[in-house]
Amino acid sequence: MNALTATDAGLVGCTRCGRVWPKDEGHCARCGAHLQAVDRHRLQAVWAWWIAGMIFYIPANLLPMLVTTTLGNAQKNTIVGGAIELWKHHNYGVAMIIFGASIMIPVGKFIAVAYLAVSVGNESRQGGKPHLHMLEVVEFIGRWSMIDVFVVAILSALVQLGFVASIHPGPAAASFALSVAFTMLSAQSFDPRLIWRGPDRERK
Amino acid sequence: MTDTPEPGPAKLDISKAPRPIWTRLSVVWIVPLLALAITLGVAWKSYSDRGALIHIDFKDATGVEIGTPLKFREVEVGKVESVGFTSDLTQVRLGVRVDKDVSPFIDNQTKFWLVRPEVSARGISNLGTVLSGTYIEGFWNNTPNGYQDQFKGLEAPPISPDPSKGISIELSSKDAGGIVDGAPILYRGITVGHLQNLRLDKDGSGVIVDAFIEKPYSDLLSTQTRFWNTSGFSVKFDTSGLSLDVRSLATLVQGGVEFDTFTSGGGIVDNGQSFRLFDSKGSAENSIFQSDQIDPPRYSLLFDDPVQGLSVGSKVQFRGVEAGEVTGLAIKVHEDSAGQRFAQQQVTIALSPDRLGLARDTDAEQVSQFLEGQIENGLRARIASTGLLGGTMVVELTDVADQPKETMNLDAKPYPTIPTAPTSENDITKSAKGVFKRIEGLPIEDLMNSAIRTMDSISAVAENENTRKVPGELSGLLEQLRTFTADLNKQGAADKTVAALDRVTEAASSVLEEISGLDKTLASADKAATAIADMPLGDIGNKLDTILADINGLLNKPGTQDLPQSLNNTLEQTAAILEQLRKAGAAEKLNETLDATQQAAGSISKAADRLPELTQQLQDLVGQARALVATYGQGSNFSNETSNMLRELRRSIANIGAVARMIERNPRAFILGR
Repeated sequence: MNALTATDAGLVGCTRCGRVWPKDEGHCARCGAHLQAVDRHRLQAVWAWWIAGMIFYIPANLLPMLVTTTLGNAQKNTIVGGAIELWKHHNYGVAMIIFGASIMIPVGKFIAVAYLAVSVGNESRQGGKPHLHMLEVVEFIGRWSMIDVFVVAILSALVQLGFVASIHPGPAAASFALSVAFTMLSAQSFDPRLIWRGPDRERK
Repeated sequence: MTDTPEPGPAKLDISKAPRPIWTRLSVVWIVPLLALAITLGVAWKSYSDRGALIHIDFKDATGVEIGTPLKFREVEVGKVESVGFTSDLTQVRLGVRVDKDVSPFIDNQTKFWLVRPEVSARGISNLGTVLSGTYIEGFWNNTPNGYQDQFKGLEAPPISPDPSKGISIELSSKDAGGIVDGAPILYRGITVGHLQNLRLDKDGSGVIVDAFIEKPYSDLLSTQTRFWNTSGFSVKFDTSGLSLDVRSLATLVQGGVEFDTFTSGGGIVDNGQSFRLFDSKGSAENSIFQSDQIDPPRYSLLFDDPVQGLSVGSKVQFRGVEAGEVTGLAIKVHEDSAGQRFAQQQVTIALSPDRLGLARDTDAEQVSQFLEGQIENGLRARIASTGLLGGTMVVELTDVADQPKETMNLDAKPYPTIPTAPTSENDITKSAKGVFKRIEGLPIEDLMNSAIRTMDSISAVAENENTRKVPGELSGLLEQLRTFTADLNKQGAADKTVAALDRVTEAASSVLEEISGLDKTLASADKAATAIADMPLGDIGNKLDTILADINGLLNKPGTQDLPQSLNNTLEQTAAILEQLRKAGAAEKLNETLDATQQAAGSISKAADRLPELTQQLQDLVGQARALVATYGQGSNFSNETSNMLRELRRSIANIGAVARMIERNPRAFILGR
């Protein structure tokens, strides 16, 4: 890969409008955004959010997401348990949506962000365009993980029939929401310029 | 890039000195740290709050699953975490996570049971669990008493889990007598509690049942309270008729217990106190044992004599005071030193300490000590009979004189023995026995037979045709008598009577002689009276009662019953005769006869006034007669006949006089011959 990167050319790109400026320039003269040099240390934020998201993802899966009380009989379901329950009741579509939104997407996000972060500066695995696509997909799809939280919120609001049936959010709902939010932040704080950055040559 | 270096001086390769790592760290790292702290914090909190895990074993755990709640006073305080089996697979072991704030109170007195819908004679309960499902209910008190994590669940819900809502006591009885678990306890017909946990006692000789009496009725209990079984119904047949007593349908189906306090002076009842359960109200009222005396001290008595008439429940008297009852009768075979086997009657008695003059709560050992002392002073057990004829047998604990020295055998099995004395018989029994023997020897059958024969003969006589003719003949006789008397009157019999007066005088003088003889008769009567007075009348009086009873028995003999029949026949015949008498007009004729007799008597009386004159005339007459006789000459036929005739006449007159006197004195006697 012999393409000349902006950094190599002593330039710095504006993250908002894409215009490149000399390295010493402080602000983008076109859009006024603060110009920031590509810095590998910015990956720290990615990892920090990533880890925070991971931490909250554990209780989100262990604790009950939904507390369904039917005729005084309380039933608590975790995310996976709920999906399996729906599958058992032949609601395959809903089960797959829940499974996809609550398990596959977050897990995929974790993997994708971690892969992107790890491959930054790795000479042999310089990404380029596919990595950028991956990042874009992660950023786009990440918000859909919140679908489960919305389902819980809507059900809790709608199904309040007292003794006969009522649904309450479990402690996992908050954890899951936090986890999703943190992974989104993690993906956002990933500087796509790093994809092109290649091995850190500053110390050379 | 090219390998050719750039023209000009080589650019100084400037790089900043690497900053220390902490300065390079981003602030954003706080976020995962915080997340970690929060998560760990929550995890730790939920771990430390999760409470204790206890295990409860149930025989069957219908409807229990993971998540089944444990409730205390209807509030959820835990959940089933695991459902497994005991190591021998005989019971279900439930692991229950109990909330931290109640787990310290779960101690060895805690009870657990399953709550599920139940249909029983008491009604339908726990309907709510049909929808909500089975749950485990637990009850524990408010004092922590050593934590425990292994429990055995109750098979049935306790009647009242909360002891503060009443008093729980134990009732013990010989048999359950129709009681089942859940049977009601009644007080004057009101249900005030329930029975539960019916079980055999330790050695299987009786049953024990727990009873729970709710507040405020529990205040009715005292240590003097007596409980009795009202299970089923009772039928009583007596002089007032047939009575059927059924307490309630519930007691008919599942039995029941009623209680009352008949005597005052009882103490406060504690939880768990034991009471005796009597068979009936009567026995509860009359028992000499206190109701809290479940196991009175028992003793064995070994008798050589037969104990006929003694039965379980017979009274035991201590120096004349009722102090216990017989609880068992058995035969015990012993072997003496010579190897000879002999049987003894073993009577088991139970004694009430307070009837012996000891404190109520005296234990068996103290009672034995007391009896030991008494036995040294001559106390013995013996069988005695009470009642007028000695029909009731009792065991008597009393001082018996002249007995060899004996002691109690305290180590004897099953109960300590009290030495015995031979059976005593009371005086009444002895004399009654004698009287009976004598009566048995009497030839009552023969007597009865001859009596019947006599009666039959009398009947035959009365039935005879000749006997029936008697009234008619009698009437004719009276008619003749009347005419005869009238004739006598007409013919001036009075004059002729004068001669009779000589006889009368003679008779009077002989009567006087008789009267002088009467003295002797009276003297002998006196003697007889004294002799009678000397007779042992006291004995006769004593035996009178028994003789009356014998007579009663006698009347029951077959011969006696024939007797009245014969008598009756006879009387009927007699009545028939009397009826004929009446028909024949005997009475009227008798009256007429009596009137005539009266007149005759009146003339006689008039004649008597003229007695001296008459006597003179008579003498003259006799003189004339003699002269006449002399005229005809002695030895002549005529004179002989005449003097014969005169003698006859004189006798006739005398007879008539006697008859007349008799009729005057007692006319009835003349007719009836009495």
